[in-house]
Amino acid sequence: MKKTLSIFAVLTIFTATMFAQGFKVKASGEQKFNFEDKAGRNQTSFFSTTPLEDITGLSGGVQGSVSFNVNDIKSLKGKILVPVSSIKTGIDLRDEHMRDAGWLDAAKYPEITFEIKKVSDVKVAADNKITAKVTGNYTMKGVTKEVTADATLTYLDESEQTKSRAPGDLLGVQAKFNVKLSDYGVNNKVVGQKVSENIEVSVNIVGSNAK
Amino acid sequence: MNKLQKNVLALGIISIIGTFIYWYAKGAEIFTKTQILVDNTTELDKMLGVKNEQWVDKFVFGFFPSGMSSLMEMISTASIAGVIIVITGILFYLFRNKRKAA
Repeated sequence: MKKTLSIFAVLTIFTATMFAQGFKVKASGEQKFNFEDKAGRNQTSFFSTTPLEDITGLSGGVQGSVSFNVNDIKSLKGKILVPVSSIKTGIDLRDEHMRDAGWLDAAKYPEITFEIKKVSDVKVAADNKITAKVTGNYTMKGVTKEVTADATLTYLDESEQTKSRAPGDLLGVQAKFNVKLSDYGVNNKVVGQKVSENIEVSVNIVGSNAK
Repeated sequence: MNKLQKNVLALGIISIIGTFIYWYAKGAEIFTKTQILVDNTTELDKMLGVKNEQWVDKFVFGFFPSGMSSLMEMISTASIAGVIIVITGILFYLFRNKRKAA
């Protein structure tokens, strides 16, 4: 019986190791990456295109963290949040309108969040680079819906070059997904004219595992 | 319409056309912008697979004003054309032939 259990345990560990997809870097085990960057270099942006106008909104106030086992990216968990007040479109008056109750209602819903639920379609592009579909709960204007982002994660071991950004190992996350404004209660008469109904959201953030 | 009025009208029309040409040459933006996005991606950012953009102050001449909080936001093709029309109208009125009293 003991022998059977041992064989089963070895097989389980072997199978898990074989099918686990992760980074081949110096670090191992569970790592937590924090995305707070006071310089505002961590950013999320949105892009709206209509025949009348293209609008880009950019937020440099990204906060949050993720954690995962370096050898298994499917263990990725975490939450990213963006303060609505930090989103800028290049026109102050438009930024004010965007924060109004008719749009994102920043006074009532000050944050937009993305909470990771699962990772799928993992492809190892290099020892330190993985592409995957990251599914999570996206909350905007108090409405939460599941969205799936196409993400690329790049892991850099700490070096003299990485220290110029932050101490510790760095994790770069680039992700894109689309949101439909009406799904989140943004039903403005301007939607579909000056502002597209479908907005492309991009994430470009770098986290550090320094404690 | 006397000669002075014709000249004022011609100058007004030429000024408006000139404003449109300038707007078109500057990129034909719908709204005046006071900030533009600039790519600040570094070599390290590229290694990390991310890009970095920042808003920087720069005036871009648009067709419509983007706001009323500063003079720069108000400058646009539409607002300049409006001012030209008003000035042309005033001068056109002032240069009318005045009837001599009997």
